[in-house]
Amino acid sequence: MRIENPFGLAEAIELGGSAAVILLMVVVAAVLGFRMSARIDEGELTRLSEAEGARVEHAVIAQNGRAALARLSDGRLMVARVMGADVSARFAAARSVRVGVKRGRLEAKFADTGFPPLKMRLDEEPKWLTELGGDASP
Amino acid sequence: MNAPAAPFEIPPIITYAVPGFVLLILIEMIVVKLTKRGRYEFRDSAASLSMGFGNRVFAIAFGGIAVAAYFWVYEFRLFNLGWTLPVMVACFFAEDLAYYWFHRIAHERRFFWASHIVHHSSQHYNLTTALRQTWTGTLGLNFIFWLPLVYIGFPPLMVLMFSSISLVYQFWIHTELIGRMGPLEWVMNTPSHHRVHHATNAKYLDANYAGVLIIWDRLFGTFVPEDDKEKIHYGIISQLGTFNPFRVAFHEWAGIWRDVTHAKSAGEVIGYVFGPPGWSPDGSRKTSASIKADWARRQQETPPAAIAAE
Repeated sequence: MRIENPFGLAEAIELGGSAAVILLMVVVAAVLGFRMSARIDEGELTRLSEAEGARVEHAVIAQNGRAALARLSDGRLMVARVMGADVSARFAAARSVRVGVKRGRLEAKFADTGFPPLKMRLDEEPKWLTELGGDASP
Repeated sequence: MNAPAAPFEIPPIITYAVPGFVLLILIEMIVVKLTKRGRYEFRDSAASLSMGFGNRVFAIAFGGIAVAAYFWVYEFRLFNLGWTLPVMVACFFAEDLAYYWFHRIAHERRFFWASHIVHHSSQHYNLTTALRQTWTGTLGLNFIFWLPLVYIGFPPLMVLMFSSISLVYQFWIHTELIGRMGPLEWVMNTPSHHRVHHATNAKYLDANYAGVLIIWDRLFGTFVPEDDKEKIHYGIISQLGTFNPFRVAFHEWAGIWRDVTHAKSAGEVIGYVFGPPGWSPDGSRKTSASIKADWARRQQETPPAAIAAE
């Protein structure tokens, strides 16, 4: 059985045209002002944690309000990041999140490919972060 | 291969529909801008459209596998149904029924969910969401759900034609701009029914799997009507933290791989791959069933007055 290359001129034209149209639509969306950006504040963290049946015990929020890390009353960690107009959060046992702080920069890593490592700059390093292993490089 | 030729030339339905898709998306963007109904976010739309582009790349590269499987199974068909009007009508219903079961199992079994999760991974619901399609559909064996149709004797090209029509039909129902559609809601899959399907609200989970006809959900007990009092939250239970198309496409497969490599028995491997999404040996993760059970319990514990006030 011979396997032929399925990508010919017709496919190249189709894909090239599709790419151009996609670019056009994204540009139109941007020009129309669909560039919303949510901000994370304490109220948002409270809402997210309560939806999980827990309370926020400690939290650090990035200066630009685009990311946050919180320790919840049930011992889990919550990592939140702005996704356009929405906020996406992950909840995990503290042992399954690698948290590190180096020169005022926090990094939290998950095993989850769908939630890339969270990085944010800190003004100060709270004690509870150090207890999480915050003095180690992630 | 001795499949009967179609009595007419079957057009490339999806290719012909693409200009319509583009036009409708641009119109929807303008209407959303003017009316403030519905939501768009350009990075989310870029991710959705990139997924649609990648879907085409993978379809060109691997789609032949599915077509070859259709024609191979057709060699063993039970009946010679041919291309007649009654057969085409029957094929339309059979294809839609096959789609219902594919879609339902794609939500209920993680192996198939790993491909289909892509389509649900946007927290927005607009026409670009319709194009947020999987890259791993063929390699994830999605086509096997249509093989019984060609085994019965429906010509492979007829099945492919109605699959394309179903896909094109499902484009326009991904919008928040259209409310209820009167009597059409009884039999057709509509924007209202499909909004429920894309919701992460506990009361809406695992509902409205229809392709074209909502009758299958009504028949098999998975129909849930849209409740105007319940604000819909779109996406998946564990919302993605990325717009990167490659992470969107493969994150659940990576999750399966991670779980399988840490499994302690063959039973755990089977559970992680073919169990419901969220299955874990100790039950510590959330599945649709556990989320719905928690929600139902809370509904019973909460006094009716408090529910009304929510």
